[in-house]
Amino acid sequence: MGEPTSARIRDALLSILSTHGISSIEEHERLFSSGRLDSLAATEVLILLETDYGIDLSDENFDILQIDTLHDLERMISSRETATGTPGNPGR
Amino acid sequence: MPENYNISAGFLRSAHAHADRVFYSDRNLDVTYGEMGETVARLASFLCSGGRPRRVGILATRSFEAYAGILAAGLAGAAYVPLNLKWPEERIVVLLRSMELDALVVDANGADLLTPAVLHAAPDRIVIADGSRNVDARGGQRIVRLGDIDGEPMREPASVEADDLAYVIFTSGTTGLPKGVMISAGSLRSYLEQSRPWTCLTPADRLAETCDVTFDLSVHNLFLCAEAGASLHVLSALEMLAPARFVRMRDITVWMSVPTLISIMRRSGSLKPGIFPSLRLSIFCGEPLPAAAARAWAEAAPNGVVENIYGPTEGTVICMRQRLAGSGVFTPGRDIVAIGTPYATMEVAVLDARQRPVPDGTPGEIALSGPQLAIGYLNEPALTADRFREIDGRRWYLTGDLGMRDGKGIFHHLGRTDNQIKVKGNRIELEEVEAHLRQASGTDIVAVVGWPTIDGSAQGLVGFCNSALPAETIATSMLRTLPRYMVPNTIHVLDVLPVNINGKVDRRALLARLRESEENGDRKQEPSARTAEPAGAS
Repeated sequence: MGEPTSARIRDALLSILSTHGISSIEEHERLFSSGRLDSLAATEVLILLETDYGIDLSDENFDILQIDTLHDLERMISSRETATGTPGNPGR
Repeated sequence: MPENYNISAGFLRSAHAHADRVFYSDRNLDVTYGEMGETVARLASFLCSGGRPRRVGILATRSFEAYAGILAAGLAGAAYVPLNLKWPEERIVVLLRSMELDALVVDANGADLLTPAVLHAAPDRIVIADGSRNVDARGGQRIVRLGDIDGEPMREPASVEADDLAYVIFTSGTTGLPKGVMISAGSLRSYLEQSRPWTCLTPADRLAETCDVTFDLSVHNLFLCAEAGASLHVLSALEMLAPARFVRMRDITVWMSVPTLISIMRRSGSLKPGIFPSLRLSIFCGEPLPAAAARAWAEAAPNGVVENIYGPTEGTVICMRQRLAGSGVFTPGRDIVAIGTPYATMEVAVLDARQRPVPDGTPGEIALSGPQLAIGYLNEPALTADRFREIDGRRWYLTGDLGMRDGKGIFHHLGRTDNQIKVKGNRIELEEVEAHLRQASGTDIVAVVGWPTIDGSAQGLVGFCNSALPAETIATSMLRTLPRYMVPNTIHVLDVLPVNINGKVDRRALLARLRESEENGDRKQEPSARTAEPAGAS
């Protein structure tokens, strides 16, 4: 499961970040809590998760801290796919 | 012996009485009262190493260092002055020069802002967080890490009088720079005395802190929490975008935020009935509280009460409140919760254009009088004299807010008398943004309006100008001098701007134009309601 999903979320994230002037990120680099990215970028990431990966933002236990690093994002998406047995809809 | 108004005295008592209880908690760190007490005592001794400090800058927020800095400044008898981490370098430099700081306390994110230009304008003594990057001091400057301070800890609070300055908090100004509101230790004492009886905090309480220390709601949380021995749970800016989990996982008992946080949760669908059983008190402030939002929150927190509180920074945090009880008390025609009744020590009046009281039911400008009134604006005597007036032998602050008292003595908020708006709780003077737009666009013909409006509150800014430069270039140069939440989401470069009968740019006509293009389905220009961050996260 890991590889294609990881590559996809990584590409999608990088394309969002590039519009905020960031061209590369490390696996464990903190994107938002470091102050490197603002709430607008975070909102764009949330919209991506909801529309392309079916993440349920209305879940009152949704842990937004998981979008702070690429590593955690990849883990959240692949664990969700393991749980449901269906890969998220790539949507493009 | 004269009474000591030291603002950290309450914390100091709790540091002894509740040494093992958690005082500060964020996603990475729990700090007990005892541990915080030691840090504060050592930091205060460093702040005093060149004599008693007058003012200490706080280039930090939502961090252990921010709170240690505030409490240590207080213990040392200094006023604290928070600097906004979202301010661009130019603005930090200009404001640092006007603040006359004796020292600066900086967290890891703040340390990233310590450029040579900032260090040049910064005071000689700087304390940075242990985890900060390395920062090279300029000549004559000493930079130490918080953990490396080894002086004799300061155990007794410095003696402070009621008229001494407690803090300076900056709010939007009209001239292009924010204005610093100066609050005395006596005003803060009076505020806490009036706020204690209705918040009733105990050591068992767990408060959520949604605000940056540059926003004075943080004053309420920090000082009431510390004197009660309760714990302060600080949300990161990221957690503010989906706060439900934070409240649930930490069993938060007291919540306070701008109403925009309710809107964010309602939009995502996460604000469901019954999800916050631990909340006993939810407080909203900073912008009109829509009745529907208040009810939705009350259903989500069925074991608690909802309070709407009102007050400008110039009146020490807030001075009026309205509890949402039963059907609640709403403001007719605006579908928002009333701002209620004043603190017993404060007098609130509704005045006409010549500062005479108007009868109940008649709109006018809300004015405040009493022990919570600010000393005035930092280095702005003319502005202070304009807003703080002597009327019939009493000192009043003219808020610029339009209001009305109804027949039952309850006050209602009806908007503004001037061009100040709230964007997601952030106080913004449109003139301040226009001053920067003028400079960035190279033209005098500019206007800025709040747009779009949802639930009676502006969600963002739209700028108009007649300029030879493209909108993107103008926006980029505005970002160099203004924080992002003050830069218009959209800038329209027009050949001609509508003017009113006085020859001034007509904001009303521009708003009508925006409304028209929205009705025509032209939504591609619509500034999404998400660019500006909620106040507190600014």
